[in-house]
Amino acid sequence: MNPVKDAHIKPLPTPDGDSEAYWQGLKRGQILLQHCLDCGHLQVYQESICRTCTSERLEHRAASGRGKIHSFSVVYRAPGPAFKNDTPYAVILVELEEGVRMISSMVECPVEDVAFDMPVELVCDPVAEDVVLPRFRPRR
Amino acid sequence: MTTQTKPAARGIRGKTAIIGAGISEVGRVPGRSAMALAAQAALRAMADAGISRDEIDGVLSSVAFAAPFHRFSVAISEYLGIQPKFSNTLQVSGATAATMFNIAAAAIAGGLAETVLIVGGDSLLSGLTPDLALRSMTESRDQQYEMPFGIPVSNTFAMTAHRHMKEFGTTAEQFAQVAVIHREHARRTPNAQMTQPITVEDVLNSGWVATPYHKLDCSLISDGGGAFIVTSAERAKSLGIERPVYILGGGEFYTHEHIFLMPSLTTTGAVQSSAAAYAMAGYGPGDMDVAGVYDCFTGTVIMMLEDLGFCPKGEGGRFVEDGQITYGGAIPCNTHGGLLSFAHSGMPGSLFHFYEVVNQLRGLCGPRQVPDAALGLVHSLGAGFATNATTILGTEATL
Repeated sequence: MNPVKDAHIKPLPTPDGDSEAYWQGLKRGQILLQHCLDCGHLQVYQESICRTCTSERLEHRAASGRGKIHSFSVVYRAPGPAFKNDTPYAVILVELEEGVRMISSMVECPVEDVAFDMPVELVCDPVAEDVVLPRFRPRR
Repeated sequence: MTTQTKPAARGIRGKTAIIGAGISEVGRVPGRSAMALAAQAALRAMADAGISRDEIDGVLSSVAFAAPFHRFSVAISEYLGIQPKFSNTLQVSGATAATMFNIAAAAIAGGLAETVLIVGGDSLLSGLTPDLALRSMTESRDQQYEMPFGIPVSNTFAMTAHRHMKEFGTTAEQFAQVAVIHREHARRTPNAQMTQPITVEDVLNSGWVATPYHKLDCSLISDGGGAFIVTSAERAKSLGIERPVYILGGGEFYTHEHIFLMPSLTTTGAVQSSAAAYAMAGYGPGDMDVAGVYDCFTGTVIMMLEDLGFCPKGEGGRFVEDGQITYGGAIPCNTHGGLLSFAHSGMPGSLFHFYEVVNQLRGLCGPRQVPDAALGLVHSLGAGFATNATTILGTEATL
């Protein structure tokens, strides 16, 4: 938890044993999906096991970075001071071409243009010295 | 109720009864801590039941943002001078309220306790320090995969409602109608936080919070607590309780933690939690006379009307428009005004739904009374529909 004196600082992900490779991958411009070598399930939320069959035989493969917007909400009331200057901004639920969904936010697009099923592509956003966030823009 | 044959005993059905109910002062209550609000509600529930503290041997509670005890149920027991032999602090976000009733019934039926105090209280409007306010706004989402993108609490619910509009043609006006009906209900409820009448246009003009939700599509921020005394059906009888309200069925269901892993944005675990509760109670949605439906946002109510079986999938908006969730309709919901207009003090918010439904079944709601209410459902949910819990209550005649 950020104390109030740090409230203007945006929360950054702290990778753990499950997610270290995922966040490293983003620094190379890739969303790493976990492919289950036993059942073929794909997951973007990184685990030590496959959520479908519990296999530990998972392999990282880079996603295409392309997807479409499954749902979205344009935020006008920010969750705390850190995001206040960004409003309005569109939080999006992206469905990647590979079929998995992830939360992100839209860049390079006016909020009024964000729409259901809009084709989007990955933009790697270096938000801090050692952190790259996966954001999306309209597909070109 | 229309079912004629008496259902067989199943699970916790009819084994316990609510014999006392109390709520604290609610709304803006400066100068009273979260603990004080919980304690006030607890003492009122005990007085309502006509029992003393030493007759309580179990205590269940939710957590409180303004009194961040890890073991709130233990802390509030100490505060009240109770040493229970069964206690736990439950935390499945907004669904916690209904889980407390289900678990109290199971604990009593299983012999862990005989008389359980269910209690929650929080001071979200007056009692949060800036640190705690910030924490309450952001901490409940995933630190790695969600929070860095600036997701407010409202966002997960907003995205589900937005998708509901896309899939089923649900309209902003239908969402707004939910707020209007809740405000109308609250006008008849003593101590409701918001009683000024509103129109659909007022809701649509109240400014965006997070699309598709305007300010008046969102529930309130309040101070307040609620408490209930649950005991065995036998003990309720021996105490000579006049109008015990029986716990007839309970169910829970958990489909996901992260919003991006929710299997469907428009069909929730309320389908399974209510199906389990109905099956245990031996009644169906058409048998319910009154309901308390978690209403953190207007669209939440529309989705729940569908998933709880009150109307078919996708028709929740029209069901509201047709006047089915108020007096004279198929299922009067949140007759106290709900989280949208009565009060929403966080985890205890759904205890107010229980307070209203219990009092409807006891025939104590005066100008708000639903005639001959005998069966009621309360559905609590939280965390962007990650958590769902349903409880079905009934009068002695429904046993």
